[in-house]
Amino acid sequence: MTFLALTPLQAALLAALTIGTVVALYFLKLRHRRVVVSSSILWKRVLDERQSHSLWEKLRRIISIMIAATIALLIALSLARPEVESLTGKNERIVILLDSSPTMKTQTQDGTTRWQHAVERAKSLLDSGGPTTEFRVIDTSGATASAFTTDRNELRKLIDSMSPRTGDPQFPKVDGADSQVYFISDGVTLHSTPSFVKRLSVFESANNVGITAFEIRSVPSAPLAYEAYLEVQNFGGPEEIGVVLSGTGGQRVNKTVRLGTEEIYKESFDLSQFAGGGVRATIQSKSDALPLDDVAFAYLPVKRKTRTLLVTRGNHFLETLLKLDNYVDLTVIDPANYRESPTIDAYIFDRFAPPAAPGRPALIIGVPSAPWLKAATGEVQKPEIATWSDNHPVMQHVSVHDLSIERAARIDATGLTVVAASKQTPLIVASEKPKWVMLTFALDASDFPFHVGFPVFIENVLGWFSREQLALKRGPGIVDVPLANAQIRTIDGTTVSSDQQLGNTVFEASQPGLYSATQGDERVHVAVNLSNPTFSDVNRSVFKTDKTAAAQRYWLRRELWFYMLIAAVALMSIEWFTYHRRLTL
Amino acid sequence: MPTTNETITLFDDEFLKKLEYLNIISKRLFAGQLRAERRTRRRGTGLEFADYRAYVAGDDFRHLDWKAYLRLNRLILKLFEEEEDLPIYFFVDASQSMSYGQPSKLDYARRVAAALCYIGLANLDRVNVIAFSDSVKAELPPQRGKGRIFKIFRFLTDVTATGETDARASFKTYCTDTRRRGLAVVISDFFDSHGFESALDILRHFRHDIFVVHIASHEEIDPSLRGELLLVDAENNTSREITITPSLLTAYKAEFAKYCEAVEAYCGKYQLGYVRTTTDFPFEELVLKVFRQGRFLK
Repeated sequence: MTFLALTPLQAALLAALTIGTVVALYFLKLRHRRVVVSSSILWKRVLDERQSHSLWEKLRRIISIMIAATIALLIALSLARPEVESLTGKNERIVILLDSSPTMKTQTQDGTTRWQHAVERAKSLLDSGGPTTEFRVIDTSGATASAFTTDRNELRKLIDSMSPRTGDPQFPKVDGADSQVYFISDGVTLHSTPSFVKRLSVFESANNVGITAFEIRSVPSAPLAYEAYLEVQNFGGPEEIGVVLSGTGGQRVNKTVRLGTEEIYKESFDLSQFAGGGVRATIQSKSDALPLDDVAFAYLPVKRKTRTLLVTRGNHFLETLLKLDNYVDLTVIDPANYRESPTIDAYIFDRFAPPAAPGRPALIIGVPSAPWLKAATGEVQKPEIATWSDNHPVMQHVSVHDLSIERAARIDATGLTVVAASKQTPLIVASEKPKWVMLTFALDASDFPFHVGFPVFIENVLGWFSREQLALKRGPGIVDVPLANAQIRTIDGTTVSSDQQLGNTVFEASQPGLYSATQGDERVHVAVNLSNPTFSDVNRSVFKTDKTAAAQRYWLRRELWFYMLIAAVALMSIEWFTYHRRLTL
Repeated sequence: MPTTNETITLFDDEFLKKLEYLNIISKRLFAGQLRAERRTRRRGTGLEFADYRAYVAGDDFRHLDWKAYLRLNRLILKLFEEEEDLPIYFFVDASQSMSYGQPSKLDYARRVAAALCYIGLANLDRVNVIAFSDSVKAELPPQRGKGRIFKIFRFLTDVTATGETDARASFKTYCTDTRRRGLAVVISDFFDSHGFESALDILRHFRHDIFVVHIASHEEIDPSLRGELLLVDAENNTSREITITPSLLTAYKAEFAKYCEAVEAYCGKYQLGYVRTTTDFPFEELVLKVFRQGRFLK
């Protein structure tokens, strides 16, 4: 037995003092009240008969002292917070780490899920340990992290409120030096854990077929033509799978494929017959343990012509290119005749810039002088492309690594997005607000118009300016949208609560779905899909071979002092009862 | 020593009225039955004719039946029944235990004894009062006639409760000195460490007609004791620490009842008169109860 509040010596002194005091008080008993009776003959007979026949009469004095001493000792020692390791366990700390990976939603043979098994294991862990054992519950999504506490009820409520998150799981930072860490997992997504972590498995093998990839992409040869790429993988036994692609306008593609174990089905679907809007891919199979990856979403941009005003003194390449584009309604005017028109979707200023920024997006070629543009600070001869951003929408499928430029203007790109740059000066810059893209070189001063990527670049620019974009691809969980103060809605118009974070709008998407983020005239679609073979392969568990730990159970759930006080109260009740019946003294 | 005030309190006018009432009641109860004066088989100088016998020299010729002489020409003597008084011995327990109760058992015994004495005196019986504890403490010589009642009052008033009870020794001492048989009324609580049976045996052996008045106080029958006590015996001052429990109280009550039943059973066995009473029972009713037993007045 150890004591949390006192040293062993202090506890021993306390015990001795208590017993001594009780015994002393017991013998310093109250003086008996003197009562004269007419005769003690009958009393003597009764008492002699009782005493001679009862062992209790002989023992009750010593038993009374023992009861009183025990009560006092229980109360006194409870103040010292005793601890018996075999009964209450050590004063230890246990971290219960719940794997909240999407794979924990995998159904098990008993009709529940791995997550529900994990919850049971976690609660079972809470029932283990001693009364002084402090627990902490955290998950791998980072959404739940309690402090260390002995309040098991609070932790049970917390566990009940938790659920698997669809984001990428991360093994949290836990200190194994002063606590035991139990990781309850199916072992699918988080394979490596620190050595001090004791793993509790809830793994159970299951069949699963999942969509591992789904996206709508433009056809490089025809930027306004789109196709849907679908990838389905079978992680169970051979299975016949129904594939359905459905569009907002009622378009539908049905297909049935048979996949063997680990076999992957890949196919691109022509979406030329699909109206713009959301497109949903679903798969159906007889045995599927994880419904989360059976559906995926994408957004098909609505096709319409961009009314484009080209302001130039003459640019053969541009005019030819734009006139050939079926999705461009082109108007060409001389800079002298420039008037801003509300019917125009996009402007292209060729070595010209109006004194005021137009109300619509503009592509500016060269660095013309205008108050709303960065002024040229010099000229760079034969700049070589050093860096460019593949991620920027205007650079999709465009390669500029071999671009040859005769000269370019030197500008200060502070506050602008540099899309492509030489070592000396930015070559392509973009502004988000107002939206414009500027080439710091003239087309006739480079071979850019002769590059295969030039038409794509122009399409990208016009697309970025005025056409609907393809949906952003995100995984479930916390989703960020590069649009400040945007209102997030689901595909059926339900508003989703969101927060602002570093100029982006973030929201939580617990399920796959298609969301739209709107801020003023700007709208961004976000396709949230699991589409991750790591999650869909629900049998890729390290617990297939790993041994899992088991927590130790102890008899008592609370600190020993609690039970000691209960025992003291119980003994006092017994003493009270027996004293008033004169069974004890 | 009891004072005059005590005498007045114990045997006041109210008490005397009750005695008169009891006397009348007793006469009414026994009207038509035998008178109080006791007749004996002995022939004597009484008024009641008993028999005839032939005159012999030396007989009192005042009792000659002259009419019979004229008819029979023989001297025939008329015989009359001899009338005797009945000796009544009141043995009043004056041990320390009799001081117990409220009123004390001794006070109650004194009243009962006084009442019975008065009725005895009124019936011209010879009344003896003996106070005893471990021996005969005091003895009142035989008294006759109602006028002696105040002497008895004084005697009873002077009796104090002291000493242990040893009825056997007391009765033996008294009966050895006194030859005449009579009615022995024992008024006691019978808390006798030497046993009540041997004491009553003595009286039986001396062929007294015995009447037992067993007095108990309410506190003895149903003691209201609780807790840790030092129980002191009033007679011998021995003490004992005791914890009164409900079960102990129950056992005591059972023991007390058993003891009373033992006294009664003894009396029943030897056909002794027995009345048990408590000190809160009206003494006049007790006296009538004694009468109804049919032994006191014959």
